[in-house]
Amino acid sequence: MSERHHLERQGEGGLYETLSRSNLVTTKGWYAAAGVLFALTAAAVGVFLYMMATGLGVTGLSRPVMWGTMIILFVFWIGLSHSGTLISAILRITQAGWRAPVLRGAEAMTVFALMVGGLFPLMHLGRNWRFYYMIPYPNERMLWPNFRSPLLWDMVAISTYLTGSILFLYFGMIPDLAAARDHATGWRKKLYTFLAAGFRGSHSEWRRYHVASTLFAVLIIPVAVSVHSIVSWDFAMAMVPGWHSTIFAPYFVAGAIYSGIAGVITVMAFLRRVFRLEHFLTVRHFDNLGKLLLTMTLIWGYFYFSEFLTTWYSRLPEDWELISSYGTHYLPLFLVMLTCNFLIPLPALCLSKVRRSIPAMFAVSLVVNVGMFAERALIVVPSLARRNDPSVWLGYFPTWVEISYIVGSVSMFALLYVLFSKLLPVMAISDIKEHLFRTTDRSIGAATVPSVAQEEEGEGE
Amino acid sequence: MSERSRTVVIGLFDAVEEAGAAARALRTLPLPEADITTISSVALPDGAVVSDPRPIRFPWAVALFWFVGAVSGAGLTLYSYLVYPLVTAGKPIASVPPTMIVTYELAMLAALLATLVAGFLSIGLARYRARKVFDPRIHEGKIAVCAAVEPGEQALRAAAALKEAGGAEVRTEEGEL
Repeated sequence: MSERHHLERQGEGGLYETLSRSNLVTTKGWYAAAGVLFALTAAAVGVFLYMMATGLGVTGLSRPVMWGTMIILFVFWIGLSHSGTLISAILRITQAGWRAPVLRGAEAMTVFALMVGGLFPLMHLGRNWRFYYMIPYPNERMLWPNFRSPLLWDMVAISTYLTGSILFLYFGMIPDLAAARDHATGWRKKLYTFLAAGFRGSHSEWRRYHVASTLFAVLIIPVAVSVHSIVSWDFAMAMVPGWHSTIFAPYFVAGAIYSGIAGVITVMAFLRRVFRLEHFLTVRHFDNLGKLLLTMTLIWGYFYFSEFLTTWYSRLPEDWELISSYGTHYLPLFLVMLTCNFLIPLPALCLSKVRRSIPAMFAVSLVVNVGMFAERALIVVPSLARRNDPSVWLGYFPTWVEISYIVGSVSMFALLYVLFSKLLPVMAISDIKEHLFRTTDRSIGAATVPSVAQEEEGEGE
Repeated sequence: MSERSRTVVIGLFDAVEEAGAAARALRTLPLPEADITTISSVALPDGAVVSDPRPIRFPWAVALFWFVGAVSGAGLTLYSYLVYPLVTAGKPIASVPPTMIVTYELAMLAALLATLVAGFLSIGLARYRARKVFDPRIHEGKIAVCAAVEPGEQALRAAAALKEAGGAEVRTEEGEL
């Protein structure tokens, strides 16, 4: 590489300082944010303990609406988790040139969203202290999990995805932890020395590291798809109007990717602003993510319309009653979903001005996730509230206990992110360095354009 | 000192081209390709300075563990059907769809765990007591070219070759390459 590459221009020492600002500088704002988020999370934990002591009667759950806000939050957070690792894995495999600044934030989002989402089925159990009954191990109670229950499938799938996502996040971080080890002092040095596991950056280490990273990416993609399919089967395997549908698995996966991409955009915009990463998370990244979000808006709209049209035309009584309730009892929720998931994002994301405006993209990403929450609520509640027997039809509205879980889950997710940003490298430093190292300015006629060097498949074998 | 510890000559270089020239000079001493490596903060393409002649075989271990996980998943569900034959809503006791789901998930879990373990073993990570040669100045943009040599004449010749190629602070130390 005879031309001056972009990494030389940046200066490696300065690059590390800039990208590790979140680890190196602790502001009063950080303490304030962490304090407020911790207080909100602790309050939600307190409410949960109150619910444990008094029973599920303090929620809005009833017969027949036995799944409410906790299951909505479960599906919402698992869906949000979907895209982080998936986007990162796909971008790694396709070696997309713009991937580097997006990877770490997206991977961390998956892990934290899964941690939050995975709590809700356990909270919903009722006798929460008996959650370990779901784990298959020899015991004297003659109890064994019933693998025909979709709850068990959830546990197996989410455990696999959480484990895989943590490993994927950790493995991708090893070179950055090695860099942090060599810059840090005190307890941080000890922590990073342990986590970096002796990685130095020798040629052989890098080669094997890339093979293992690619392998992780290849393995995590089908797991990500399977997890949300299995979450959808919690619903689709039941003979309940609106749930028992073959389209549910792909529809859930599409919805999860949709909300996940919106989540990645929210997190990216936040990180960019707070840690002053304007130079690395550029308008181009938001433009590209905006195009992905636009694609998913269309796919989500297609799936929804396809499912809706089938019911609309065939008019099976039980399904038609359910759909009709979207125009009466659940009209506000339906309008929120339709507006936030389709009517706003579709025209907005078609405009390059919106995609290239970071505040606008931040706003669109939040709107999409509000819409996705409404969509999850519309999946869970109306199908139970309008089941086959009209004599048991009943409404559902969350109580203050469940509303505190909504606030608590958002604050817990944000708290985990805030702690992560303080402790571990929040940007994929080695990937950014590698991208800059491979980028040189190339003259084409009178123009100078950045050019990224990349090996062809199979080269060097 | 571990059995893998050897005498290693290290030189620091500012640019890939200089590091490449140093590696070529080391090869002409002659030193085998496997005894020369670079340490850098970014991955260099194979052959840019040195090549790694050792084949990477650990993906086969991952494939093997995928099958182990699949067999475990299938075994767990089938064992459950045999030992705890619960009748549920007229469904068959040995139901295939749950078996497929649990088998698939456990296969993927085993493969993911195997990737971490096999990756660590292949890279040589988590050997905290091993003394590996290293220079933290790679984080300032330097590329360290390292060669495992015989102490004495060969070490002196390797150090001279690195200096001649423009290497700064060429030194010899005992450690793993």
